[in-house]
Amino acid sequence: MPPQRPPTSAPRPGGVTAVSSLAPDGLPKPDSDDMCPVCKTIRYLNRDMEFLINPECYHSMCSSCVNRLFNEGPQQCPYAGCHRTLRRKGFRSPFFGDLSVEREVDIRRRVNQVFNQVEDDFNTLRDYNNYLQMVEDLTFDLVHGDEPTKRKAEAQLQQWEAEHKTEIERNRRAGKEQDEQSRRRLAAEQAAARQRRLDAIKEAEEEKMEKIKIKEMEIDSLERGQPLPDQQRVQLKRRGNKAVEAVTNLAAGSSSTADAVGKLSIRGLKEKKKEPRPEGPYDPFGGLDLTPSRYKIHGGLSHPNVEKYRSDKAHVTGGYSFDEYTSRAMFEAFAGLGVFIEDERDVGVGLVASEVVGMGAALAAVGGDGPGLKMELD
Amino acid sequence: MATEDARYRDSSQYRLWSFSPTQLSALREKTNAAARARISERLLSHPLPVSTSKQDLSAPTSNANTPDPDGNSTPALPEFLTPAEELTLVGYYTSEILRASEALHYADEIKATAAMFLKRFYITNSIMTYPPAEMFFVALFFACKVDTGHVNLAEYTKIFNKSAEEILAGEFLLCQGLRFAFDVKHPYRALRGAMMELASLPDMQKDLKRLDEAEAKARKVLQFSPLMTDAYFHYTPSQIMLAALSLADRGLAERLIQETFHFVAAEGNDTPGGGGGDNNKGNEEKARVIGSQIRDKVLGAIEGCRDMLSRELPERKDHWLNKQVIKTQITPLRKKLLKCKDPERWNLVELQRVRREQAAKKMDSDDEDDLGGGKKVKKEEDGDIFGGDLGHSAKKRKMTVKKEEDPFGGPMVKKEDPFGGPMVKKEEPFGGTKVKKEEDSSFGRFGGAL
Repeated sequence: MPPQRPPTSAPRPGGVTAVSSLAPDGLPKPDSDDMCPVCKTIRYLNRDMEFLINPECYHSMCSSCVNRLFNEGPQQCPYAGCHRTLRRKGFRSPFFGDLSVEREVDIRRRVNQVFNQVEDDFNTLRDYNNYLQMVEDLTFDLVHGDEPTKRKAEAQLQQWEAEHKTEIERNRRAGKEQDEQSRRRLAAEQAAARQRRLDAIKEAEEEKMEKIKIKEMEIDSLERGQPLPDQQRVQLKRRGNKAVEAVTNLAAGSSSTADAVGKLSIRGLKEKKKEPRPEGPYDPFGGLDLTPSRYKIHGGLSHPNVEKYRSDKAHVTGGYSFDEYTSRAMFEAFAGLGVFIEDERDVGVGLVASEVVGMGAALAAVGGDGPGLKMELD
Repeated sequence: MATEDARYRDSSQYRLWSFSPTQLSALREKTNAAARARISERLLSHPLPVSTSKQDLSAPTSNANTPDPDGNSTPALPEFLTPAEELTLVGYYTSEILRASEALHYADEIKATAAMFLKRFYITNSIMTYPPAEMFFVALFFACKVDTGHVNLAEYTKIFNKSAEEILAGEFLLCQGLRFAFDVKHPYRALRGAMMELASLPDMQKDLKRLDEAEAKARKVLQFSPLMTDAYFHYTPSQIMLAALSLADRGLAERLIQETFHFVAAEGNDTPGGGGGDNNKGNEEKARVIGSQIRDKVLGAIEGCRDMLSRELPERKDHWLNKQVIKTQITPLRKKLLKCKDPERWNLVELQRVRREQAAKKMDSDDEDDLGGGKKVKKEEDGDIFGGDLGHSAKKRKMTVKKEEDPFGGPMVKKEDPFGGPMVKKEEPFGGTKVKKEEDSSFGRFGGAL
């Protein structure tokens, strides 16, 4: 029984896609991939239908169409209005469902191959940022621009490529080298880890053997009737040594990687950032000076009502510090002694009401200006 | 500046609750005036409870638009308390707090904190607005909480024969009035510190008995005088402590000040243009902190505080208890107060209930607004996420309010229930299971048929 086609997907002469299924930029919408726009086969009929695109125009079609159309050599794209010539070799399956994304990623990849300079190639950060801005503008033009801008951007790209051929080549090689280096380092690290694991297993094995040996010796010695107290100590010592060794090994390993980082060649004239100055120990009070200025805490400070608690277990057991009490009492006795609320509230901190009144009178009499007076007050 | 002073200036007591005498009296007058205006407005808009004659009834409506509290045209308005009278009443209730907490053997700090809470509260709130006889209990209860002497609310209410609701209703109000500054710095520990310092002086070793006596006497002063006066607002704890000490033993207080502000050596070197920059600067700083100039200033402040304290010496306790005094000074004021109280604010429990209801209503109306707007479906979803919860809590709040309203009514009904209730309840389970069984079997039958 022939499968009934849904009425909407009636075949049309020429097998050319419906324009309505195209996104604004001329690429098929991602949800249209259940039906090949060229031969109108639907996924329902062909489970393992695969869509391919050609980066020339990003028009998708099923693999059987590609085979059928391009087996005999280059042909025009079967989409209506698309006059590009495609080759079978150029077809591949898209990575992204959204073909506009696929196209943008391709373009970016291409642009990045040309504009592959790194931050170290520039003298200042500003230069580098300008460069990045230029690259991004160009990419945007290539991706989203209309025909003339696209063409212009393309020309610019090619011009840049021609002008900076050597640099691009060098950077490419450097990038490759770096990739190679990091890969090698990774491999070395993995090898080291494997080695460590093996060592650990071996060590554990050895320890086990040793333990058994010691046990045997112990039994022997017990048989003979004379204990061997030194043996165990020796074993403990060895174990401790091993732990220390492991730590030093680890430190050495990390320092060697640090060396590797230090040896990386640095190109360009870029000034390196200075390391921030060490901050010193953390000060929870933010530089507040807590040393008392009016009194001194000394051992002679005591009070009979406090003394009697010094032998009280309930107070001593909890870790209560009597010095804390003393310092707090002393602080409260002298805190705010020099705070004169009446003056400060009416006039301001550090001034005396009567004095200010006098100043005001003087000011009124002389008619002098404010700042000078303020200096005097300070 | 001495670090001790700088640290004291950081305290909430200095930042929020220290005033110069002029500031304080201005504040009290402002509070009084504001309360007058508000109460007269309220009395005029709700004339019924106050006015009795028909003439009064018609008068307020015409005056509502042009409030004129002092004019003769508003006979409905009572005579208001003056700021001085308010102060007297606050003083009376402060003494009552001290008396009550003494009877309960609370710690000195709790007593003093409670007294200061009451005093602070009635600086920005008029005594005519909120009832002092209620706030008094609230302040004492809250002071217990603040000064780590927590009392069980049930016990506390039993002592004073109050309901828990009455105590709790004013609690948040009190906190607001205190501007959420709960830490009151007292001079008691400072006195201990001063005694330690004095006892450590070499020539004082012989006079330990004198020190003990002075401390006991000064402590007595501190327990009463600074709390009854405005000393806490005008002076720092250490100044109050030294003033009390000088009331107890003048020689000791002066000795301590002399010992503290001993720095005189620099006077000779401190010539302008003299060399030794750093040293000179250090000396200047020292002179500013412990020099003779500041000593004189401190002495002046302590003298002022001493004068203030001597107005309310501990002997005056009897004055506040004297029946004659109460009859002639306090009772008339209380009667007057009852006439000019704020009709809306006076009942704290009612006030709290109304405020809660308003809040709940507001939330409900907010929810309705949400639902009423465009894009109904989406809004409803939003309501589920945000509004739904709020509405729920509002309802909950309403429920609790209702519960609080009849704390004694509920259980009575429940007690009656056990005789009638269980009969019905027992029948229900049987009926329920029966139905269920039938259903089960029918389901089984269907299942079998299928």
